Amino acid sequence: MTTNHTHHDHEACLKLFAKLSEYIDGETDEVTCEAIRAHMEACPCCTTCLETLKRTVGFCEEMGEEPVPPGFSQRLRKALNNMPHGSMP
Amino acid sequence: MGRDANQVPDITDQDTELITAIQKGAAERFEELVTRYEGKLYNFGLRICKDASDAEDLAQETFINIFRYIKDFRQETKFKNWMYRIATSVCHRMRRRSKYAPERELSLDEFLPADHADIDTELPEWAAMPIRQVLNRELGEHLKASVKELPPQYRLVLVLRDMEGFSTDEAAEILGITPANVKVRLHRARLFLREELKGYFHDNQPHTP
Repeated sequence: MTTNHTHHDHEACLKLFAKLSEYIDGETDEVTCEAIRAHMEACPCCTTCLETLKRTVGFCEEMGEEPVPPGFSQRLRKALNNMPHGSMP
Repeated sequence: MGRDANQVPDITDQDTELITAIQKGAAERFEELVTRYEGKLYNFGLRICKDASDAEDLAQETFINIFRYIKDFRQETKFKNWMYRIATSVCHRMRRRSKYAPERELSLDEFLPADHADIDTELPEWAAMPIRQVLNRELGEHLKASVKELPPQYRLVLVLRDMEGFSTDEAAEILGITPANVKVRLHRARLFLREELKGYFHDNQPHTP
């Protein structure tokens, strides 16, 4: 805890902790959203918590896709071609 | 019972025309569907399954099921959502067979800081710097490995929401759970990953760009 946080109410932080993902996703109601915003302005600990969580989400969103391995497409089509004709759409 | 091919779909998107054509008998156009989604399903498999071989099995089995049941798909939801629902149930079946990664619950308490002394007040570099400068190949590999450490019910939610880009409601529909449940699992999964990332950056500090 930093010195300017001596009187900070840790209970308030814990209450908002469960809502941080909803807040990031813009899925909290207006009252909760405003409460979190106000809390963040006063609490550097929760701001760090929120920003590192946001960055975690950002990393996931930025993960690229792998190319399919050699032979994958051929094996897939072979399996589908082996399907009985009766099961054709 | 098969869908009436003349019925107007409830949801229309980039797949509607193709799906409707296949349902009306243009079986040769199934190939287009495979080309459109083989990479997506393979990558979904890579994120969910234990290795590339299982990812390939998942993609193959999903397409076989789509092929079998597409005539029954009533287009009451997006085709993509229906496809992922099939992929998810294939994944559940594969996991039951392999005994891979047993279910366990993640509790919010595991991630609660005991007090402020446990939290940095200063934003770490990895969260402050532009994302492209931080996310390199090594970190990407670490992140993928960390996702696989998640218990399956959390991993599926995280992959669908934060990697495949589905909304809360869509993920709930795909998994057959409530949106509230999606939110709870997603938050815990993200907190789990964040702890993994904190550990990674702590251990790799001298090499952090």
